[in-house]
Amino acid sequence: MTEPGMAEITEPYYEALARGELLIQHCKACNHTIMYPKHRCPFCFEADLDWVTVSGRGILHSYTITRLTAPSGFEDETPFALGVVKLEENVQLLARLWPDADGGWDGYACDVPVEFHPVSADEARRRPVAWFRLSAR
Amino acid sequence: MSTAAPASDTEAAFIGIGELPSGRYPDRSFIGSLVDVAVAAVRDAGLTMTDIDTILLIPCLHSAADQADLVFSRVVEELGLNGRAKSNAMVHSGGSTSDNTVRAAASLINSGHARHVLILQAEKWGSAPVNEMIDMLTANGIPREWEKATGLSFNAVGALITQRYMAVTGSTAQDMASVCVALRDWAILNPNAMYRKPLSVEQVLGSRMISDPLHAFECPMMADGAVGIVLTSAGEARKSHDAWVRIAGSGGVVSHYSIGQEADLGVLGWPRAAREAYEQAGWGPGDADLAEVYDSYTAVLTIAMEGLGLAPVGEAGRLFAAGEFSPGGRFPVNTNGGLLSAGHTGVGGGTALLAEGVRQLLGHAGPDRQVPGAARAVCGGSGGTYMDSQVLLLERVTR
Repeated sequence: MTEPGMAEITEPYYEALARGELLIQHCKACNHTIMYPKHRCPFCFEADLDWVTVSGRGILHSYTITRLTAPSGFEDETPFALGVVKLEENVQLLARLWPDADGGWDGYACDVPVEFHPVSADEARRRPVAWFRLSAR
Repeated sequence: MSTAAPASDTEAAFIGIGELPSGRYPDRSFIGSLVDVAVAAVRDAGLTMTDIDTILLIPCLHSAADQADLVFSRVVEELGLNGRAKSNAMVHSGGSTSDNTVRAAASLINSGHARHVLILQAEKWGSAPVNEMIDMLTANGIPREWEKATGLSFNAVGALITQRYMAVTGSTAQDMASVCVALRDWAILNPNAMYRKPLSVEQVLGSRMISDPLHAFECPMMADGAVGIVLTSAGEARKSHDAWVRIAGSGGVVSHYSIGQEADLGVLGWPRAAREAYEQAGWGPGDADLAEVYDSYTAVLTIAMEGLGLAPVGEAGRLFAAGEFSPGGRFPVNTNGGLLSAGHTGVGGGTALLAEGVRQLLGHAGPDRQVPGAARAVCGGSGGTYMDSQVLLLERVTR
């Protein structure tokens, strides 16, 4: 799936998701956090980057529940929800949203607190994407 | 303080427009469409084809083979310009392509690299298999490593923007649906529009939910369409035209590539892009007579209008509901019906809006929808996942 030259930045991220962790990149030269992962730091352009585990806490900037017109391969999963999450670490990402206890997403709204929701290794390998749920706080 | 430069003979002038109706026209060929709008635009400009020395192409999304034909000068041969054309090239930034193409054309003219530029666009989205086009859009223009596995679709991108806009502004579902109704009311007046039957807020809200909060009627329908635009220098225009259209100001911001990296989905890049353009033009939103702004989803339009200063922040949706931007309202917006009712012709949706702005300022929009005395138009475009906010401020000039 990943082109060869990209594996060095995709594989650590994907493998962490399979372990139930969410990593973001960090620039050792200028100390910025970086998302999405890159080959060079977009602030200082050094290539000396490592990974840090995040708190998993964030704010849901926006979200949607896709019911129709899903891309191929996702037709059987509708409805499903995705949203843009702003993490405490001052980076953001597009993520899947875990359903509420009632199986829907009625509890979700813009600007509510959310937290990283680890999924099974099989699921994370099938679809290497972070999931979030409503914050327990 | 105004930084507007005085109009000069070397600055670019729009002098001609050609357009085919948008919709589903499976029997209309791609190359044939390009030739038809080329001929129409060149005639409208009062030129002959051999006056054209530069062709700038707006890409198509329906076919890689047709796209390659554009890049490799098929149009030059079809128009009999072999050995005469100086340059055939493509500019591409998705939905904002026409804005960037016009900038390129204006720069070529102003610097003397081109004399008469023909901009051409054609798209066959309406006749293409819908599922293939959805997959093509999903495969391209979103980060495959970081976002594709979420199941993101373009309708979901529009939904993320609309959800944020509604949450921040308190705009209701009725307010957002009324944007579609206003656009439809304009489309009814445009013989080239795809949808010309009246539409009600109830119909919009009664249509199927696609990706919350977007209903089916709030998602654009893919259409076939074609547009040609001719630009020359003001000095050339003055020789044979009583009126032409100049670019008074231009501004732009590229705010993201990935939708997940947009800092504020309810604002995007519009405020800074607009400030830059108005400063260059030396006039402001209150001086405009109409606007033609990218509208592939309702909030894409309301957010842009607020950033462009055409509505108070947070109020555009409610003002649409109040009829301010409909035919007969206070301020005409998207007088061709926009992408949501005239049809989403891929990269060409923005081209059709820009062409409509030029047509209005030339006074050629026909009896039903011509804005009386239209002298200044605000044009806005956006591409990809609303990655950029591009502003062109157009002005009518008379000899």
